[in-house]
Amino acid sequence: MGIEFRNVTKTFGGACVVDNLSLEVRDGEFIVLLGPSGCGKTTTLRMLAGLETATSGDILIGGQRVNDVPTQHRDLAMVFQSYALYPHMTIAENIGYPLRVRKLDKADRTARVKRVAAMLEIEPLLERKPRQLSGGERQRVALARAIVREPRAYLMDEPLSNLDARLRVQMRGELKRLQHQLGTTTIYVTHDQAEAMTLASRVAVMKKGRLQQFDTPLNIYNHPANRFVAEFVGSPSMNFIEKGDMTIGIRPEHIQVLTTPEDGAMEARVYVTELMGNETFVFVSVGDNRMIARAPADFRADVDTKVWLKLATEKIHWFDPSTGNRLQDLQD
Amino acid sequence: MPSTQKAQKRFSVLFGSSVHYVVLLAALLFALAPVYWMLTISFKTEGEQFATPPPWFNFTPTLEHYYDAFVTRSFGEYLLTSAIVAVTSTLLALVIGTLAAYALARFELPLKLNRRLSLWILSTRMFPAIVTAVPLFLMMRDVQLLNTRAALIIVYTAFNLPFVVWMMRGFFADLPRDLEEAALVDGDSRLGALVRIVLPLVAPGLAATAVFCLIVSWNEFLFALVLTQTDAAMTLPVGIAGRVTQYEIKWGVMSAAASVAIVPILVFALALQKYLVRGLSMGAVKG
Repeated sequence: MGIEFRNVTKTFGGACVVDNLSLEVRDGEFIVLLGPSGCGKTTTLRMLAGLETATSGDILIGGQRVNDVPTQHRDLAMVFQSYALYPHMTIAENIGYPLRVRKLDKADRTARVKRVAAMLEIEPLLERKPRQLSGGERQRVALARAIVREPRAYLMDEPLSNLDARLRVQMRGELKRLQHQLGTTTIYVTHDQAEAMTLASRVAVMKKGRLQQFDTPLNIYNHPANRFVAEFVGSPSMNFIEKGDMTIGIRPEHIQVLTTPEDGAMEARVYVTELMGNETFVFVSVGDNRMIARAPADFRADVDTKVWLKLATEKIHWFDPSTGNRLQDLQD
Repeated sequence: MPSTQKAQKRFSVLFGSSVHYVVLLAALLFALAPVYWMLTISFKTEGEQFATPPPWFNFTPTLEHYYDAFVTRSFGEYLLTSAIVAVTSTLLALVIGTLAAYALARFELPLKLNRRLSLWILSTRMFPAIVTAVPLFLMMRDVQLLNTRAALIIVYTAFNLPFVVWMMRGFFADLPRDLEEAALVDGDSRLGALVRIVLPLVAPGLAATAVFCLIVSWNEFLFALVLTQTDAAMTLPVGIAGRVTQYEIKWGVMSAAASVAIVPILVFALALQKYLVRGLSMGAVKG
C-alpha cells in the first residue's frame, strides 16, 4: 500500500529530529531510509508505526491519514533491531502472536505459523524459546512474525545490524528475494550504504532530520544531490578536492594510478596500499589532500613512491563548497 | 611439596566451610528459638509452661489450647477475617498499584508529573502510621465502617499501594520497551500487551511484591486494633493480643493461635520461593 509523509516534523524538547519531511512511497516499493545515526531515520519509521507522534504534518497509509490512528490499528508489521522476541513464549507462539490477538482460530493459526516457518527454514525451532536461538535464528523468527500475516507494509529498523558480516550478506539476499515474492511495500532503515544500494528500489538519504535525496540507488550513486550524499554512499568514499570556487568529487574507481608520468596526470605520493584480494586500495597524498584510488589486485607500489593519477574527467562531480550542493555537470 | 600444598588447601576449604556452617547454625538458632518456644508452649499444659527448669523436649503434648482457641473462643473467625482482609487488600493493591506503576513508567505526563507523582506517592509512607490512626478512625466512624472487614481492606490497600507502585515501577522501567512496542505493532492493545507480554515477564517481581503486601496485611496490628473491637471484624494479631488481660495472660491460647497464624504466610512464601529471589534481585544484573 502506498505511504506518504507530508511536511512531517518531529521535535523532542526543542531539538528538531525530523525536519519537514515529504516522501511518497508507491505500493510495493522497497524504500531504504539511509543516514548516519541521529539523522532521524528511525524516528521517521517509528512515526509511521505510531510509536512516536508527529509534531506537525500528515502521515498517510493507502491515502488515509493515520496520525491519530493508534499503532495497533495501523495494520503494519515491524522488525526491530533487537528483534523484540517475546522471551517467555516459544518460537511458534511468537510467530503466532499477531494472529492470536486477531482472534484467528487455533488450527488456522498453527497452519500459517507452519507455512511461514517452512518458508524461512525454522521449523525445527518452533518449540524452543528465543534465548536458545542464535542471532541469525532470532532474526529469522522476527521476520517470520512480521510476514505471518499480510500487513499493509513492512517496517524494518536495522534488522541485520546485529548479525555477523557473512550472515548479514546472506540475509540481505533472502530479504530481497522475500520482498520480491510478497510484493508488500517495505520501509527499511539502515546506516549501511551497501544494504541501501542492494535492497532498495529507491533510497531516501537523510542527514540531521532532513531529506537529502530520494532516488534510485543508481541515480544516488551517479548523481548525488550534494556532497553529503556523495560521501555517504559508496565504499570507499568519494574523494574531494577543493579547486578554486568549486569542490571536485571523484570516486576511487574513476582514478587510474600510473607508475610513470603521463600527460594530464596528477603527481601524487603513495601513503599506503591495501590489498583486498580482488583489488587494491591505493591511498595517496596530493599536496595536503588525501585520496583513495582503486587499482587492480596486482598493483604494487612502495610507501612514499611517486605515482601519477589520471582522473576520468567525465566522471567528475562538481559541488558548491559553501552549500555542498551539486552543480550542473560541466558537460551538460 | 604439591601434596602438602593440596592438603593445606583442603584444610582451608574445610575450615572455611565449617566456619560457614557454624555461623549459619548460630543464625538459625537465633531466629528459630522463639518460634520453637512458642510451638512448645502451645502444646504444654499450663503446669509445664511455668516449670523450672522448663521441659525442653520431654513433656506430654496436649491440644487443649488449640481446642480452647479455635472451638471455645472465636479464633477461627479471626483467622477467617485475617485471611479475607489480607488477600483482598493484597489483590486490590496489586491491581491498582501495577496499573499506576505502568502508567508512571511508560507514559510521559506533562509538568514532570511522572517524577512528582512518584515522590508524592512515596511521601505518604514517610510519616509514622499512628499519625493517620485517629483521622482514619473518625472517617471510618462517619461512614459507618467501624468494626467491618471493609474498613481494614480499604486501609491496608492504601497502605500497601505506595510500596506496590514503587516496586513495580522499577521492574517495568527495567523492561525493554521494544517488547511492548512489538506487541502494539502486532495488533495488540495497551492493556493486552500489559497482560500478555509485560506481566508474565515481571512475574517474579509481582510475586515478591505480593508476598510482602500479604505479610504486612497479615501482621498489621495498629489499624486493626483502632478500627475493630468486635469479633465480627477482629484479625488474628488483635485477637491474640486480647488474651493479655487485667487478670491473666493466656499463654497457651496465644501460642496456639500464633502458631496457626504463621502457617499461611509460610506456605505462601514457600510456594513462591523460586520467584522470590529472582524478584528481589531483578534489575540487579541485565539479563
